[in-house]
Amino acid sequence: MIDFLTSFSPAFILIAAGVISAFMPSSRVRKVLLIASPALALVLINVIFYGQDANAFLGGKVSFAGIELTTMRIDILSIIWGYIFCLAGVLNGIFGLHEKCKITDTSALIYTGAGIGAVFAGDLITLFMFWELLALSSVFIVWRGGPKSYPAGMRYLAMHILSGVLLLAGLIIYGRATGGYAFNNIGIDAPGGKLMLLAFGIKAGFPLLHNWIQDAYPRSSVTGTVILSVFTTKLAIYALMRGFAGTEILIYIGAVMTVFPVFFAVLENDLRKVLSYSLNNQLGFMVCGIGIGSQLALNGVAAHVVVDILFKGLLFMSMGAVLHRVGTTKASELGGLFRSMPYTTLFCLVGAAAISAVPFFGGFVSKSMIIAAVFEEHHWVVFLMLLFASAGVLEHSGIKVPYFAFFAHDSGKRVKEAPWNMLAAMGIAAFLCIYLAMPGPFGGMQYLYGLLPSEVAGAAAFNPYTGDHMVFQMQIIMAAMFAFTLLKRIGLYPPERRAQILDSDWVYRRLGLSLLQWGSAMWTRLGAVITYALRGMFGNISKRLYQVFSPAGAFSQDAPSGISAVLIAGMLAAALFIVYFL
Amino acid sequence: MAKSDKPKLSAKEIKERAESHPMAVPFLWLGTAKVQRNFIFVPLFGMILFSVLGYVYPLHHPAPWDTFGFSYTVIGFVSYSFVVLAAWPLFKILSRPENYYGEDCDDDAKSDKKGDQ
Repeated sequence: MIDFLTSFSPAFILIAAGVISAFMPSSRVRKVLLIASPALALVLINVIFYGQDANAFLGGKVSFAGIELTTMRIDILSIIWGYIFCLAGVLNGIFGLHEKCKITDTSALIYTGAGIGAVFAGDLITLFMFWELLALSSVFIVWRGGPKSYPAGMRYLAMHILSGVLLLAGLIIYGRATGGYAFNNIGIDAPGGKLMLLAFGIKAGFPLLHNWIQDAYPRSSVTGTVILSVFTTKLAIYALMRGFAGTEILIYIGAVMTVFPVFFAVLENDLRKVLSYSLNNQLGFMVCGIGIGSQLALNGVAAHVVVDILFKGLLFMSMGAVLHRVGTTKASELGGLFRSMPYTTLFCLVGAAAISAVPFFGGFVSKSMIIAAVFEEHHWVVFLMLLFASAGVLEHSGIKVPYFAFFAHDSGKRVKEAPWNMLAAMGIAAFLCIYLAMPGPFGGMQYLYGLLPSEVAGAAAFNPYTGDHMVFQMQIIMAAMFAFTLLKRIGLYPPERRAQILDSDWVYRRLGLSLLQWGSAMWTRLGAVITYALRGMFGNISKRLYQVFSPAGAFSQDAPSGISAVLIAGMLAAALFIVYFL
Repeated sequence: MAKSDKPKLSAKEIKERAESHPMAVPFLWLGTAKVQRNFIFVPLFGMILFSVLGYVYPLHHPAPWDTFGFSYTVIGFVSYSFVVLAAWPLFKILSRPENYYGEDCDDDAKSDKKGDQ
């Protein structure tokens, strides 16, 4: 049995469970599948990887159009993503236990499977197939947000199809030039490399390509947003790390990604949209680390992926619980919810502390690695940008989300605490956020370090819990908190107001749409003008022909035989000229 | 009514306690205006403490601008204030009515309490 289960990628277990779920009328059975299948996949990954001696396990080989595909490559890099994707799948399953929706259950299973399949892809063609499956399965989760989410889902799908097309074009060029499709280090200068970088960049939320995150994620359902926040963007980080580690331009792209969402997040009123910008900001740290490409930086990226999935998932879960109970996540309509939802408040505060990199919380360890790696490379401007972004993270995720939802002014809303399953999922995530940052023999930091790519000695050498490092981190946190309280006290903190904040998606949602509508109107008018002109022209021609050839026309009248002979001779000459000379 | 039988809590407080989750009752003081007004002293104290500690634990690998022990206090304060203060002009430039794109506003309960579909 074990031999059979380990003969193909664990992703197929989830995908098969998803297919079964689609035809399963019993919600309870679907929920069992939702939790058990990622758990089983997690066990199988362990059995497969540790059941052999090599650093990488290659399996699940199939032949496709004469090309041998490796659908399962479990190595020191992919196993990190495999573990955390499976764990996230289990947590998502627990969080969504109360929801009786076949579409969400089915899509979540296939989406999770596609994510796992993509990180275990040993070649670019397998990656492409799971890449597309990821997009197709996740769009149904976006659409579960209701009719209002359909346009956002269509835009989401368009962006991801574009990403898939770019990946396909890139891999074809790459494969023809190199003669192989193995998914290893590609590099920006490789044939098709730029296309693949762009494809990964769309999914990673590069600046100006990021809007699908803030557009689609906040519009999905309570459970849907939590599921969506895990896989797509983190898979893109994996793909960048596998294919483009050390690509210098990623340092600057990542630095910009950390900074610009900060400004949008402070303007946003919808707290799930704030968290979507925050997601972009955290991805920026990872992209920057990939660009640096040193051992410490890559370790930091891998560690940050693990803890980011936990703390960002936790924050999305807490806002999901608020949306579930209150019916909105608009900051302007919330406040004082700690009275009704104390456990959710506590878990949200843990997530906020973790993302703010407070010592002894998840983000502190991983983010410190990335920032230290930037420091070691003497990228001073980028280093300052990351520090600025760290203060920004504190503003939008560390303070704004918990403060406006659970504290601030009392909105008077008295609701029930979140359902037990939501609290359980949040509790596990919160525990891991703390445990994985704890040093010492009983702490989980050793396990987090143990997950990191083993050939990297930097992880063991890096200790974030030094006096100077903790003091400098706390200086930033305390100064930012003081700035918040001061600005709030003197009335300079902007109030939360309902509004649509324009982002670069204005280019296609407003300008592009307007241009399209204008072009369509112009085309309609032009068509009418052309029809009128053609009708007039052909009318004149037919009128002339009628005058010549009709029974009453010129050719029907008697003509002298001499004129007829001349006309016929002329036509014969014209025919001969055409035949011989043209 | 005897003096000792006088209720210690106001009617408003009793109502608030009754409406709150039992686990939240010991923490209701967090919502009082006095606590919210004076909370500023917590980060102020923390900021001063860690700024002083910056001299006790100077950075082993200082950046070129780390010439004094509380340089990151300054960076944190300035960065945070800049982000928040920038929101005023940015809101004027970038904000539009909620139905600007003609797709209604973003949330409003996407209930998960639906039956099987």
